[in-house]
Amino acid sequence: MSWGGIIITFALVDNVILSRLLGVRHSVCMPGSMRAAVGTGISTALLMAVSAVVGWALGTLALVPLGFSFLQTPAFVLAVAGLALLLRQAAARVSPAFVKDVSFPEVAVNCATLGVVLITTRGGYTAGESLVAGSAAGLGYFLVTVMMTAIRERLEVEQVPRALRGLPLHLISAGLLAYAFMAFDRAFLARVLGG
Amino acid sequence: MALDAGLGKRIAGEHRISMLLLGLCPAVAVSVRVIDALWMSAGVFSVALLAALCGALVRRWGRSGEGAAAGATVGKWMGALALSSCLTACFEVVLLAVAPEASASLGIYAPLIAVNCLVLGSAGTGARDSSITRAVLDAAEQGLGFSACLLLIALLRESLGAGTITLFAVDGFNGVIAIPSLARDPARALGASGAGLLCLGYLGASARLLRWRGEGREKELSP
Amino acid sequence: MAEKSDQRASEALLVTPAPHVGIRSSSARKSWLVAASLLPAAAWGVMLFGVPALLVLIVSIGASLVSEVLSSLLFRRFTLNDGSAFLTGLLVGLLMPSGVPLYVPAAASAFAILVVKQSFGGLGRNWMNPAMAGVLFAMLSWSGAMSNWGAAQGILGNVTSLPPLEALRAALAAPEVTGRAPLAVLAGAGYRFSNGDASIIAWINSRLLAPLGAALQPGSFDVLVGHVSGRIGEISAPLLLLGAGFLLHRRIVRWQVPVSYLASFLMLAWIFGGLGAGRGWLAGGPVFHVLSGSLILGAFFIASDPVTSPLSEKGRWIYGLELGALTFFMRYFGTLGDGVAVSIVLANCTVPLLDRWLQHREAAPLREAS
Repeated sequence: MSWGGIIITFALVDNVILSRLLGVRHSVCMPGSMRAAVGTGISTALLMAVSAVVGWALGTLALVPLGFSFLQTPAFVLAVAGLALLLRQAAARVSPAFVKDVSFPEVAVNCATLGVVLITTRGGYTAGESLVAGSAAGLGYFLVTVMMTAIRERLEVEQVPRALRGLPLHLISAGLLAYAFMAFDRAFLARVLGG
Repeated sequence: MALDAGLGKRIAGEHRISMLLLGLCPAVAVSVRVIDALWMSAGVFSVALLAALCGALVRRWGRSGEGAAAGATVGKWMGALALSSCLTACFEVVLLAVAPEASASLGIYAPLIAVNCLVLGSAGTGARDSSITRAVLDAAEQGLGFSACLLLIALLRESLGAGTITLFAVDGFNGVIAIPSLARDPARALGASGAGLLCLGYLGASARLLRWRGEGREKELSP
Repeated sequence: MAEKSDQRASEALLVTPAPHVGIRSSSARKSWLVAASLLPAAAWGVMLFGVPALLVLIVSIGASLVSEVLSSLLFRRFTLNDGSAFLTGLLVGLLMPSGVPLYVPAAASAFAILVVKQSFGGLGRNWMNPAMAGVLFAMLSWSGAMSNWGAAQGILGNVTSLPPLEALRAALAAPEVTGRAPLAVLAGAGYRFSNGDASIIAWINSRLLAPLGAALQPGSFDVLVGHVSGRIGEISAPLLLLGAGFLLHRRIVRWQVPVSYLASFLMLAWIFGGLGAGRGWLAGGPVFHVLSGSLILGAFFIASDPVTSPLSEKGRWIYGLELGALTFFMRYFGTLGDGVAVSIVLANCTVPLLDRWLQHREAAPLREAS
């Protein structure tokens, strides 16, 4: 796939949150403010991009040549967690306020990051393609997180049915958002790239 | 005191439901057919159970006697992650050997069991008990709840969204049961990820209503 | 530290400019008036498509009212008299093709009312337009059924069952068709307009336009008046504009969203629309595109819904521009219908964000003053 195709696929067509339902917890249901959402979105996007490349490196240069493909899961999980820690240290140096808003253990165990790494390695992406895919997935993740946070803030001031208040309604809103994003399907992708 | 205990119980109950729902998300994405839900449930249940067992054993024989606190240190996080991911890798190997087509249809969602909230909770990042039996039973209860919800959602989505119910293929029978009236023109949008999220939302509301009824509170649907 | 707590305190006490959140709810009379203004277009559709169209409308409105009653029983609050359920059902029905199996509009209406509207607490509290979400659900679930156009009984002669927009898309898929305007492409593909259209266009061309050296394409009259196939309520632009004019005159809908929506779509269709058809820049056939599909219905009656559109005026302009751009993209590159329902639903998703961004900016002077 061309880089344009990868970007549209990972950001819109197969959006990490809305299409693959990964990272729903941290993006849809986070209790934080818009600032925290933006912070988490940015840090997760960065982590996705870096992890995708690191995952490629681990897979191509270590696991496959040594015949340890079955250790893919522990290797990737721990690599992503380690990278999240490094990211936290780097962020703490640059902006301590940023670190306070974002919960890095949550960022580390985000299914979305691990999911992107698995998709790119299992799909046989090159290093460049993995970087582009990770960044695009991060962009899509950031977009949905920010939209959902605004929707959640609006729902907070509305008088909604009590049984549905909070998490149930957030999930229902995410479901409606997911249906909206189904407008970006494979046929759309083919037409944009081909036409 | 009683009020605090009641509130605490309500918050804990609410928290458990939330964790269950959120842990279900990735599983719901892949479980559009009943058979996929069955394999996914098997994976989460077995890994959570083993993670609870191993985690409890490690805590019992570890240096600090008390249970893991909510604010876990880096070491505890990495330890829990390492445990859950190794157990998940074992499950993947077994699944590939026993049912390769299931392994193919679960795709990336099988390895993602490693970072499932339920599994990590069982492995010790959020556990408060140090008793082995209690931890294992707790994991089993949550695992069963998880499986029941996942199967219910998959049944609903497949029957209304594709008009079929797919089970294990036994010699001669390909596993697909077609529902006559629905199979003709099913509502395909129910097989999409959006439907999964909607189901989870309504499931959460239903669970909350059941809990309120159990607590004797009047059904509070209206705003 | 003190600054942070001050900021949090001021955020807690933030007073946003009017209108406040509560004023999103439409009044009862408005919904009935909007429904009334849709009746001419609905009547035209029923006249063209006959009893099947009437049945579709009855079923969609009925399902909507039944769903509203069910939720009224659950919430112990009677809401049928506010007209919004009727309006939602009517809109869902008007966006259905007449040949659609009746379970489709029923399911779409039920989804619209129960999931998109009542789950959020009813009128004024939903953030996504219920009718559009219901139509989208139907398009995703039963894509084949939603293309079941049904037979049309014209009054000026035969009406081809396939709508012009869909016929154009099919014709443009052929590689040798390049460099012509939409109506010319249709003529080249053998699309048949009515006999009445042929004679009227011939008369206009020979008597009025020949001295000026201009000519109207055959089919212009049919497309303009709405003597073509399509979804039940979208076909007659003049009747829709009549209803829209009434609503604008009575200030029931605000003009910013429809005008910016149509303007941005027109511009984009004119500038870029010809590229795909091999006609180059600034040659898109925008008038045809504005008159086809549910663009006018969507712009005046649905996108202007005060509940799901932005609160501020600036927001409404931006929302309209966004809608125009999305509809253009979805019509030219997407596959879900004519792009209107899909783009309204997508734009709804950005409205809370728009509101937040614009309201916070507007409130900043207030905060500094206190």
